[in-house]
Order: sequence, then structure tokens, then C-alpha cells
Amino acid sequence: MTTQVMAQRELQIRCEDDIVLVRQAVRVMAQQLGFDAFATAAVTTAASELARNVWTHAGGGSALLEEIRLAGRRGVRMHFRDQGPGIADLGRALAGGFSTARSLGLGLSGSKRLVDEFNVESTVGKGTVVVVAKWARFSSTTG
Amino acid sequence: MTASVTAGGKPRSAIPVLRVGDTLLVTVQIELHDAVADAFQEDLLVTIEKTGARGLIIDITGLDMVDSYVARVLADTGRMARLMGTDTVLVGMRPEVAATLVRMGYGMEGVRTALNVDEGLGLLHTLQG
Amino acid sequence: MAVDYMSLLKLDERELAQRRAFFEITDEDLARVAKLRDFAARHGDAIVDDLYQLILGHADSRAFFADETMVRRVKSMQKQYFLGLFAGNCDLRYVQDRLRVGASHERIGLEPKWYLGAYGRYLRLLLDRLFTDFPAAEAQAAFRSLSKLVAFDTALAMDTYIAANLDTVARHQAAIRELSTPVIRVYDRVLLLPLVGTVDTHRAQQIMETLLLRTVEDQAKAIIVDIAGVPVVDTKVADHLLKTTAAVRMLGAVTIITGISAQVARTMVQLGVDLSSIETRARLADGIELALAKVGRVIAVKA
Ligand SMILES: Nc1ncnc2c1ncn2[C@@H]1O[C@H](COP(=O)(O)OP(=O)(O)OP(=O)(O)O)[C@@H](O)[C@H]1O
Ligand SMILES: [Mg+2]
Repeated sequence: MTTQVMAQRELQIRCEDDIVLVRQAVRVMAQQLGFDAFATAAVTTAASELARNVWTHAGGGSALLEEIRLAGRRGVRMHFRDQGPGIADLGRALAGGFSTARSLGLGLSGSKRLVDEFNVESTVGKGTVVVVAKWARFSSTTG
Repeated sequence: MTASVTAGGKPRSAIPVLRVGDTLLVTVQIELHDAVADAFQEDLLVTIEKTGARGLIIDITGLDMVDSYVARVLADTGRMARLMGTDTVLVGMRPEVAATLVRMGYGMEGVRTALNVDEGLGLLHTLQG
Repeated sequence: MAVDYMSLLKLDERELAQRRAFFEITDEDLARVAKLRDFAARHGDAIVDDLYQLILGHADSRAFFADETMVRRVKSMQKQYFLGLFAGNCDLRYVQDRLRVGASHERIGLEPKWYLGAYGRYLRLLLDRLFTDFPAAEAQAAFRSLSKLVAFDTALAMDTYIAANLDTVARHQAAIRELSTPVIRVYDRVLLLPLVGTVDTHRAQQIMETLLLRTVEDQAKAIIVDIAGVPVVDTKVADHLLKTTAAVRMLGAVTIITGISAQVARTMVQLGVDLSSIETRARLADGIELALAKVGRVIAVKA
């Protein structure tokens, strides 16, 4: 079975305020899909971190948000794309605690721990694409 | 308990600061997005300077998301306030926020916390002996 | 409780249009079946009777029907369902109606094999009668249209069945989760979580979430986690405990870990796990005493 895309929405990240718009859109999507408060906070926070990376490290890009479904389970998938400098040492960036921005460097590794699927592709000089997905948990509140 | 709204200065962050005795109480209700977060920090520090408040309580019950940026602004504000002789207590963090921060690896070490405003006031009281 | 299958299956106009396209149900098909209403009225009772001969003829499927009254009731429902096939509209109302039938079968525990078998017989019964009543070309066209609708209905029945099952599984999982993290209020604003059994990542997350929710709900100041019942305390478990403690601290409460045996203490130090930031005690009783002190209470010997 393949993952079905039920709906999608693309948002541009052109200024700092766009980060807020991205995470608000993600929050609404997660709530509509029945994510509980913990899962909603997790996916919204990951969106915020990744959108901010697009803005601070690449000067802008886009976020494609998708509502997905696989075998009756529903989830949110997000693609963060930019044409920035790329990440030279992906291993180090993902390990956490490494930052080129004199920060704590927990955004990338932290968001990885908040989602169910995480994938980064980055080419130096060309840009970065981070794709993450989070599935709604089976909840007991469908009744 | 009497409370008075601090006068003077234009609160650019639009986050109200209440003064209770020599303690400042800030209730964050709106999403602290980047520009607001910075303005919030500045407003608070200026208010501390003007009032000479000894304690600061930041109530974040209203925040359903705290990312690394906001976490850092909150922690830094506490540190800055400390340099000015003011103790800070962060109160009302929501369960989902705490779980998310911990999973990301942010422990908010060095930040004093309490369950609610009353507890926060109590903690400040013991700190200031 | 009535499960809203329409929203569970995300059956909106868009999904409906997609399904209709996939099952190739055209407006001509609908118009054609609508013209068969007289045919349906003529044969309805006989077809339903025949269908129930199949169902009641097998001990396993018969077992679902308690008595004669119930059989009469389901037969009349079945007749409505049958006539619905010839209504000539395939809109959201039609879908809702179909889902209700699927759901009521799921509720009594009728398995998919029974439905599928019954749907098969439906088609054969229709086929025979269409060819008796109409010229071959007309009968064939009518059968093609009807079989599309029956396939459409079968899919809805299966989807309802699967969704209902997933829902049941989810309820069970939630119940098990509850059971595995029994948080006890030992005193005003003091909680105790006796951990029993292995703590894997999934469970650790559950535990953390439950504890955090309860901490805020009860405005608890001290939370005792007793790990005496955890068979293996390794670096992973220790890491989970540290994380939970850190999260609880952010809320403004303290965690006290009790039930640390000599064995666990030794392993922790040998593994280099630093638990010094957490308050720990060997015995639960000492943990309770410490927790009570945090809420300003003391256990005293009666003079
Ligand atoms: N989209 C991107 N384009 C280029 N480099 C990136 C991108 N995202 C991350 N990086 C690189 O990976 C490093 C780690 O990212 P991470 O988000 O973990 O930390 P950070 O953004 O530096 O700090 P913070 O903890 O505030 O998020 C960054 O410092 C940067 O060098
Ligand atoms: Mg970052």
C-alpha cells in the first residue's frame, strides 16, 4: 500500500513572520486529524524548528504541508525546501549540539525526535530538503 | 492582594505586566513569535529597571507550543533579570510543552519553575527570605 | 455509542466523487437502475427470502440471529436495503444509509466472509431474474449497472468493518495503557506511580505523558516513581527516568525515585549514569516521607 495524499498546502517562508503562519497551519491540520495535545505540540514544534532553519540558515524557502493516509491511519507530512548553502556535515548537524549560528544546535536533532519519519537531503551550494511525517496515534476518542 | 498595571512606556509586545508588591507578573497569552518575543524581553527588562522589582513571574499557561527560540528567550530573560537582582519563576507550563521540550533535549536547566502563580509567589518569598 | 463512520472514513463530496469514478458509476447507470423499480418491487420479497435461506442455512451465520422476531426485523431492513439499490441516486445520503447497514452488521459481529457471500448471492439472484424478465441486451445492461452499485456497497461495508475494528483495537490499547500506568494519589498533591514490568520507549512516553497530565490536573508537588517492580534498569530506562524527571521539574514539581535496590545502584554507577540530579531512595516508605515533607507534612510517632 502506498501513502495517499488527501490534501496539501504550500506556504512560502519569506520573512520571520512566515514561520508563525507555517506552524499555525500545521497546528490546525494536526487538530483536524485528531492528534492529541502531545502529538500536536510535537509536530507544531518540529515545524517551527524546521521553518526557522529555512529562514535563518538559507534566507527563505517553502513549506509544503500534506495530510496523508496509509491503511486507515492519518498523518501530517511536511516538506521544507530551500536553495540555501546546504549542510556540509549532515552527520554532525543531525547529531545535535552543533550549530553554525552560535545557537544550541538542537533544532534539527530535536525535531527528528519529535516525528515518526525524518529525512534530509542537502547539497552544498544547492540547498536543503527536509521531509518529516507524523502519524496520528490510535486514540480512544473516536466514539 | 492588590495589583496595579505598570504605567509608562509603550508596551510594544502587548503583553500585560502586572505589579504585585515588589513582584512583576507577566501572563503570556498570545503566541510568542519571534519579533514579539524580542519585544517582550526588552519590555520586561525595562520594567524591572524602572520598578526595581525583586521577583518576576512569567505565566505560560496560555502557550501550547514552545520551540527552541521561545525557550531560549524565556531562559535568557530569567538570566538577564538575575543580573539585575531579580529572581524569575516560570509557572504554568503545559504537559505537552514540557514533554516536547524534553524530547528535543531542552531541559530548561537553571530556570526556576512552579505549578501556578501562587506557588511561584511562595517560591519567590522563600528565595528572598 | 454511535461511531461516525462518515467522518471516520472521511466520506465527503470529494471522496464520494473519487469512489464513484473508480467504481465507474455513471449517471446513466443510476437512471437505468431507477427504471427497474417495478422489477425490484416485484421480486424484493423473494430475493430477500432466498438470501436468508443461504444465511440461515448455515449454523455459523444462523447463530447471529437470536429468534424469529429478529429474523423478521433484519429481513425487513434487508428489503429496504435492496430497494435502496434502485433509488437511482448515489449521493452522501445513500452512502450514509449504506454505512448504517455495515455498522449494524459489525456490531453483531458478523464477519466479512458472510457479507461477501451474501453479496455474491445477491448478484446471482438479480442476474437470473433480470434475464427472465427482460430481453438479453437490456438484462445485461441492467446487470452491469447493478453490479457496479453492489461493488460500491461492498467496499463501504468492508471499510466500515475495518474502521470499526481499528476503533476497537484503539480502545483496547488505550485501556491497556491506562492499566500499565496507574497513578495513585497518596496524599493531597502527592502522586505515586508504581512501575511494574519492562519500560520500552513507547511505554516510557506513555508514562511521561500520563504523569505530566496528572501532575497538572492534581497540581501535585511531589511525584514518587517506584521502580522496584522493573526487572531490568539499564541506561535506557535510566535515560527515560531522567527525561521524565526533567519534564516534571519544568512543570514545577519534583520527582522522587524509589525502589532502587543495591543491584540497581551498583549498575547505575558502573554504567556511568548520573542520577545525582534526582532525589532517590531505596525504600518507598522513605520516598513517601520525603514527598510529604515537600508539601509541608511530617509523619510523626504518636506520643
Ligand atoms: N535549511 C538549512 N540550510 C543550511 N544549513 C542548515 C539548514 N538547517 C540546518 N542547517 C545547519 O545545521 C546546523 C544545525 O541545525 P539546528 O537546527 O540543529 O541548529 P541551529 O539552527 O544552529 O540552532 P537551534 O538550536 O537554534 O535550532 C545549523 O547550525 C546549520 O549549520
Ligand atoms: Mg535551528
